[in-house]
Amino acid sequence: MVRVSYAGEPGDKQGAAFDKKIVRRLWGFVQPHQRWLWFGLGCLLAVSACRLTMPWLIKLAIDQHLALGDLSGYYPLLGAFAAVALVDTFLRRSQQIAVETGGQNALLDLRLRLFRHLQDLPAAYFDRTPTGRLVGRVTTDVEALQELFSSGVVTILGDLVFLITTLIILFSLHAKLALVAMIVVPILLVVTLLIRMRVRSAYVAMRAKLSEMNGYLHERLSGMSVVQMFNREGDTVRGYGAINDDTRDAQLKTVWWETSLSTSVEMLSSFTVAMILWYGGGLVAENWQTQGVAGGLTLGVLFAFIDYMQKFFQPLNELSLKYTVLQNAMTASRRIFDLLDVEDRLPVATRPEAPSAVVGEITFDKVTFGYDANNPVLRDVSFTVKPGEKVALVGATGAGKTTVLKLLTRLYDPQHGRILLDGIDLRAYDVQDLRRRIGLVPQDVFLFEGDILENIRLGNPDIDEQKAIEAASRLHLDELVSRFPHGWKEKVRERGRNLSSGEKQLISFARVLAASPRVLVLDEATSNVDSHTEHLLQEAVHDIMQGRTSLAIAHRLSTVRDSDRILVFHQGELAEEGGHDALMAEDGLYACLVKLQYSNSEAASLG
Amino acid sequence: MSLGELRRIAPLYRRYRRRYFLGALALVGAVVLRISVPYLLGRTVDVLRLAADDPEAAGVDAGNITSIALQGGLMIAAVALVGAVLRTFSRLFVLGNSRHAVHDLREEVMGHLVKLSPSYFGRNSTGKLMSRCVNDVQFVQSLLGPVFLYLAETAALYVVALSYMGSIDLRLTALAILPFPFFLWRSRRIATGIQVDSRASQEALGEVSAKVEESLSGGMVVRSLALEDFDYERFKKRGTEYRDVNLRLSRRRAWMGVNMHLLASTSTLIVLLVGGPMAARGEITLGDFVAMVFYLGMLAAPTGVLGFVISSLQRGAAALGRVGEMLDEEPTMADVPDAVEDPLVEGAISVRNLTITLENEKGVPRTVLDDLSLEVPSGSVLGIVGPTGAGKSVLLRALARQLEVEDGHIQYDAVDVNRRRIADLRAQLGYVPQEAFLFSMSLAANVALGRPEASREAVEESVAQSRLAQDLVQLPEGYDTLVGERGLNLSGGQRQRTALARVLLLQPKVLLLDDPFSAVDATTTDDILSGLKPFFAGRTTVLVAHRVATVQHADHILVMEEGRIVERGSHRELLALDGAYAALHRRQQERADLRHELGEEEHG
Repeated sequence: MVRVSYAGEPGDKQGAAFDKKIVRRLWGFVQPHQRWLWFGLGCLLAVSACRLTMPWLIKLAIDQHLALGDLSGYYPLLGAFAAVALVDTFLRRSQQIAVETGGQNALLDLRLRLFRHLQDLPAAYFDRTPTGRLVGRVTTDVEALQELFSSGVVTILGDLVFLITTLIILFSLHAKLALVAMIVVPILLVVTLLIRMRVRSAYVAMRAKLSEMNGYLHERLSGMSVVQMFNREGDTVRGYGAINDDTRDAQLKTVWWETSLSTSVEMLSSFTVAMILWYGGGLVAENWQTQGVAGGLTLGVLFAFIDYMQKFFQPLNELSLKYTVLQNAMTASRRIFDLLDVEDRLPVATRPEAPSAVVGEITFDKVTFGYDANNPVLRDVSFTVKPGEKVALVGATGAGKTTVLKLLTRLYDPQHGRILLDGIDLRAYDVQDLRRRIGLVPQDVFLFEGDILENIRLGNPDIDEQKAIEAASRLHLDELVSRFPHGWKEKVRERGRNLSSGEKQLISFARVLAASPRVLVLDEATSNVDSHTEHLLQEAVHDIMQGRTSLAIAHRLSTVRDSDRILVFHQGELAEEGGHDALMAEDGLYACLVKLQYSNSEAASLG
Repeated sequence: MSLGELRRIAPLYRRYRRRYFLGALALVGAVVLRISVPYLLGRTVDVLRLAADDPEAAGVDAGNITSIALQGGLMIAAVALVGAVLRTFSRLFVLGNSRHAVHDLREEVMGHLVKLSPSYFGRNSTGKLMSRCVNDVQFVQSLLGPVFLYLAETAALYVVALSYMGSIDLRLTALAILPFPFFLWRSRRIATGIQVDSRASQEALGEVSAKVEESLSGGMVVRSLALEDFDYERFKKRGTEYRDVNLRLSRRRAWMGVNMHLLASTSTLIVLLVGGPMAARGEITLGDFVAMVFYLGMLAAPTGVLGFVISSLQRGAAALGRVGEMLDEEPTMADVPDAVEDPLVEGAISVRNLTITLENEKGVPRTVLDDLSLEVPSGSVLGIVGPTGAGKSVLLRALARQLEVEDGHIQYDAVDVNRRRIADLRAQLGYVPQEAFLFSMSLAANVALGRPEASREAVEESVAQSRLAQDLVQLPEGYDTLVGERGLNLSGGQRQRTALARVLLLQPKVLLLDDPFSAVDATTTDDILSGLKPFFAGRTTVLVAHRVATVQHADHILVMEEGRIVERGSHRELLALDGAYAALHRRQQERADLRHELGEEEHG
């Protein structure tokens, strides 16, 4: 379901609309693109000048030409008006585009930075944080910042200049009339801000209802056969109806508040016109009566006043809108920076060691580890895998097998003890270098967008297409690939929807063959495949383990039997160790596990 | 334009027609009053001028001149006030009614959807239906609300403003609105472009979001394979695409602004150019001239964005058509007029020469059940095994009336299935599909789905029978734990056992179990089955399974392959037959033997 924006999240504080520290950090992302903003601001100031000039030109036209019936010099004036109007129009366009360009670039940087940060966070962080929330940071929250640029909050400075200039012009035209015209302004500001806040909260409530309603609908549509089978049609219609009623009521509230907002703005602006007319009109009449002797006001000035005031109202109205945009942006920024501030990282080796000769010896030395430190999943585990040795990990679910693999690829660091690769503590390696030395075949194959070859090469410059195809062909992947119209270049659809689970696993194996690491870590998948593919997979497993140190969580009996040694885990401890025959002879845990696990999975695969 | 679908609007409006009428009336009033402001402004200017020039002719006292201005001001204030009130009413009526009408539409849609047959939901994915019920209904709402309001307001504005303007000077008016059609055409084109790019932007954002989700869910793998840079480049590509679409969109939006401002200044310029000299020559008054400039300003803004509104109108009409199509869909599975209401007394099932042909995703028809006949006597258990795609699930769906079947092929207690009242029949059938679907309700409510009034004891008994009780301790709030999409994610086995408990609670006459133990381990399955023995007594059961062991105690067993029954008999008979069943049994036995062999090695 789409997450509702700004329905609030636990831990959100409704903070101020302006937080200096946050703004400074945001500026850090805008800075590289600031020339766009300055250019935009420059355009905006020029636009303001144009907007202020146009009523003035009309005032001149009325007072010096039309009212006097004198048309000499009138047409050049119109030419000036046309020129100003044209410049105004195109500068507005440039301004809008410049600001958005700067903004979009800054937000792209922010998104990329967030993504990098998420990549750098340790696995442990993701155990605690729901994925949906993190996706929201990169999408919805950054979107809220986009409004800063599209609604013109960043160029608010230009608005202020415009407002102040207008004020100066109005007061210099006629100070008393300007004062009269300004009476409404404070009322307008307060009223719009108050109502705007109501509008905002009404929208938040409405969106929450809408999302609840759509969630209900989605579920009932997906489970319609169950609804019908259990004769629950009536309930469903009633349940939906109740949320539908609530949604309508929430929507009516938004309509009410939005209407109130536009009504009050319109009313107040009309009142201002009335006031100008009442006070100014008298002055104009007086002026005419005394033939200009008593000073006072010309009709042109009166016109300009009304025109200026209407132009004055527009940015003024938008101020309250911008305030709520700013408020949303601050909430979003706070969340984004809270995430960027998470400094939870695996310690980095200051002078990483990188032995050139990889032998492939793995040692677990009294390793104790728990995802939650008080609750160890592995207890005092020690074992050594000799170079070239094939070791299978066996144990019930939750015995700690997967954890061993995660520790070996340094997704986590053990709380006690140490893990060595070729005699060097994993923590002394550069983490990426370490992981490149180890070939992992995970249980769930992760496929990237791109074609099949790219998914085997994985952006590794050392593996050219030829090498990738060779590796894949050794696993008979060429047979399977030949059915695709584009062969090796067939695009992998979202997460490999156009590939069978067997094909996906073969691709995963081909990656290892192509990259040819000394150490292989295999977490065998349990999925059901047809017997031909199963045969291919068994061969492939055998192939890729050949000549490597391998550590495998085996789901195939053939894989277990293929290995030199078996480590049996029980409740986080290394319980038994030895060859298959010897362990069976012991009639201990291993024998029992073999009965339970391997019989079930193999039986299930028969379908 | 495909505006023909707009005919479907009538029933939506009908219920609220009085309020729509009032809304439209208020709207016209508000427009008239709004337009009156420049008129009054012009009039006041003229009267002031006249009074100043020649007080006697104007019939006013020289000292009273300020009171003329005051009068004008008060008038405008009054007009503005009433106008604002009317405008508020019109918006509240029209926008409010659109919400009411759409609320009714949603209710109608849901009321209709629950009546449609399973095949309809097979043809139309949930995603597609959601798009109808959410996006299309939203478009209809904007059609009934803002689009209606905007069009009505613009129309009224045009009529009133043009007649005011025409009364000042026809030629000047005609010239002033001369550029309108061009700008209207431009605005249509820009609006279309914006619509296209908005959709592209939405999609690009979806891609960004999908990529983040993918990278997060595959985060462990990306990390372990040291593929951070590789993955980052892929995200960067999506992010850059999204930025580019947005920039294109903002350029188009900027054109919209250009269009609007150029329209306003062009028409103002025409008035200055043509009307100015007229005012100077006294052909029109100065007040008229000022009013003219204001009128044009009022017309320019709505005309500039009319393109948008027309696009929304088209989109709304198309959406209305799609929603209408959904409402026109006839439920293909409905009670016949003289449907039999009798409950099932015996629960005997008879299937005769049943052939079912279904289309696959590509629309290619495939015979999934081929001339199938079978009898399940009342009170017996029928087991069915066979490879994937043999038609076992289709058969069960047909028995459960989840699939339309022609008359004369399936009978319950010697009455054709299509002649029984659907609700009554369903109340007697306990169907557990392969995929257990739970709703976002408490576990107890999910179990009691078919009998919400069931006592807690009854629910507990069903939960115990399906061996779900042993898992309750793991759930944070036991029976009250929220499960389903928005709740706790139960394991596949737990979901299946919940679905089983749900059916057991119904105490149905007939049980149709479609491999309900596929995710339940063998020991628990055997445990459940032996516990259910007394429950099966007096009911008719059809049990599909992939394990021979699950069905071996059934009274009668069928082996299906490619839509046909290839073998039938009891477990013993089928073994003696030494065919497909025996082979399957052997293969499964081999696995079991394998472990025995391993187990025996320890002794030997």
